[in-house]
Amino acid sequence: MLKIDNLEVAVEGGDDTILKGLTLEVKPGEVHAIMGPNGSGKSTLAYVLAGRDGYEVRGGSVTFGDEDLLELEPEERAAAGLFLAMQYPVEIPGVANNYFLRQAMNAIRQARGEKDIPAGEFIKKLKEKAALVGVREELLKRDVNSGFSGGEKKRNEILQMAMLEPKLCILDETDSGLDIDALRTVADGVNALRDPSRSMVVITHYQRLLDHIVPDVVHVLANGRIRRTGGKELAQELENSGYEGILGEAA
Amino acid sequence: MNAVRNHPPVQAFHDLFSAGKTGLPGGDGPLLGLRETRFARFADAGIPSQRTEAWKFTNVARHANVPMALGGHVQIGASELSAFFCGGHLARRMIFVNGHVSRDFSHVRGLPEGVSVRVLADAVDDGEVRERIAAFDDGRSFTDLNAALMQSGAVIDVADGVHVAFPLQMLFAAVGSQRAATMNHPRLLVRLGRGAKLHLIETHAALQDGSTFTNLVSQIELGDEAELIHDRLQAGRDGSVLLSKADMRLGERSRLRQTLASLGGALVRNESTLHLDGTFADAVMNGAFMPTAREHVDNAICVHHRQPDCHSDQFYKGVMDGYGRGVFAGRIVVHEDAQRTNAFQTNNNLLLSDDAEIDSKPELEIYADDVKCSHGATCGDLDEQSLFYLRSRGIDADTARSILVYAFAGEVIERFADEGTRRLAMQHVFARLAGGGGLSGMLEG
Ligand SMILES: Nc1ncnc2c1ncn2[C@@H]1O[C@H](COP(=O)(O)OP(=O)(O)OP(=O)(O)O)[C@@H](O)[C@H]1O
Ligand SMILES: [Mg+2]
Repeated sequence: MLKIDNLEVAVEGGDDTILKGLTLEVKPGEVHAIMGPNGSGKSTLAYVLAGRDGYEVRGGSVTFGDEDLLELEPEERAAAGLFLAMQYPVEIPGVANNYFLRQAMNAIRQARGEKDIPAGEFIKKLKEKAALVGVREELLKRDVNSGFSGGEKKRNEILQMAMLEPKLCILDETDSGLDIDALRTVADGVNALRDPSRSMVVITHYQRLLDHIVPDVVHVLANGRIRRTGGKELAQELENSGYEGILGEAA
Repeated sequence: MNAVRNHPPVQAFHDLFSAGKTGLPGGDGPLLGLRETRFARFADAGIPSQRTEAWKFTNVARHANVPMALGGHVQIGASELSAFFCGGHLARRMIFVNGHVSRDFSHVRGLPEGVSVRVLADAVDDGEVRERIAAFDDGRSFTDLNAALMQSGAVIDVADGVHVAFPLQMLFAAVGSQRAATMNHPRLLVRLGRGAKLHLIETHAALQDGSTFTNLVSQIELGDEAELIHDRLQAGRDGSVLLSKADMRLGERSRLRQTLASLGGALVRNESTLHLDGTFADAVMNGAFMPTAREHVDNAICVHHRQPDCHSDQFYKGVMDGYGRGVFAGRIVVHEDAQRTNAFQTNNNLLLSDDAEIDSKPELEIYADDVKCSHGATCGDLDEQSLFYLRSRGIDADTARSILVYAFAGEVIERFADEGTRRLAMQHVFARLAGGGGLSGMLEG
């Protein structure tokens, strides 16, 4: 599904590379967790995969399905089935949330040569998914993320994900900012999307999310590279000994 | 007037006036004197150059000082006009094609008691109307030119206490012609009596290719406690020019809610002078303008606070693309007696190309000591993060940009009180954006 090979990334025009030869493969249906200290490059990886401007790929490759992901525009990546739930969702005043979602859905359908979703069907699906991830109906009419609480923004990301039904979901710290109950709701929403043909990359700092969304593989990213890879017990190990303990041992 | 600073009008103006003056409404008698006086003054003062402060940012002579014919009667298809009908099925409307009322398509019959809507060409038989026309004398060239050459227009009077239950639309169509550039000089007189209420929709449409030059003068008077909702949509095309001058007077506790959108045309000049003549008068003026290609939109707003306890708020948003140029000159004058004035002004702008330009010039003149005044202007580009966010959800770059531009300008468009005008404005905005086709879904919801 996703194959990252020796990826090197710097901030555009910057000297230092942030990702320094990162290699990672995610197979269909797998859930991978990426953990790692602040500033280690997790969000950078997520943004580079989603195609945000401002980064320079200095080496390596990323294949998504059978396409060279790095050659695609952000919207083409979305149409190909990639979705990034952002660590900091953007507020867009003046654009209604439900309008935005419908626009996004139809854009992706059009790119795939499908017809627009009929209005009635869209509303039905939107209500159903909003209930699933705990987004109040009132928030659907408000402007995208505008004045949403931190937790509401995160739920809104998962709502978009549930609506767009991507093949690869990248969740960047979706758990931060969520209260305990919200964490469960959001995790249930994510789990409802688990499917043998859908893969997930879950970036998190906390074991707690991984209790709900149980990963197949856990990676530790530090200094721009994957330093350790293990099963779900690696997360528990990290929780107990911290990065220093784990990485010290690895070094 | 300093004629030295201005451009002497081309000979065509003289020829046209001397040949045509007696054929114009009232030109065979009661209005001839006024027309001649004003024409002489226009000819003497000339067409303002950019050395005149009021026209500093706008080269009007380029469009105005060229040989033009006076707009005549033309046949125009019903569907071309009906595309601009606004106000819903209850609306009454008066339609002007090249400055002349179109009696076939206008519908102002059976008005309730106390509401009078007259065709200006007929109403000039009324001495009181002639006096009102003459009374507006700001000494400006285009006002004089309008007085000299006005072909028609409307006289709208609402009696004391009458609330007009339906919107009244004034639709001005400027029809281009391949043969000659044409000019039109309509005049609009609106008077609301004490406590009267009216929803006025003003629509300017440019139809067919060719150069058109419309020089509108509006005189709007709100009696004490009167309320005017004024929606104005201007939809131009390559060769169209609209100069609009509005003189508005607000009585005690009267209320003005004005929203306007300037969408297209070689040049639009939107000049409004507001006189808050009674205490507790309250005026909100919203405006959106979107010059692109080589279009030019010049907003010149002046609000005079003459009495205590009034409120005024100017809220203008500009989107400049291509080589488009926008001007916002907003002036607030708080006169000596106008204590406890609240006067605000905001002008926010988006510059979408390196060649686009905005000149935003706020001016506050305050002669009273207890006032709350503020003005602010901003200028920016589309937010990259928002663009990426939209694109990361599958929306292509052009559509994403259009969504953000509309999100910006829409804040004004949404303020149109009339749903029909709002939708028409949206259609015109979308048509002007590269990715605007993808926004049509907004018109469904
Ligand atoms: N646009 C940028 N300009 C300059 N430095 C940047 C930029 N983006 C990322 N960086 C730097 O790259 C490094 C990695 O940042 P990144 O956001 O990927 O970390 P992270 O692993 O997601 O951290 P956190 O756990 O705090 O979210 C940091 O040192 C950060 O300051
Ligand atoms: Mg991060």
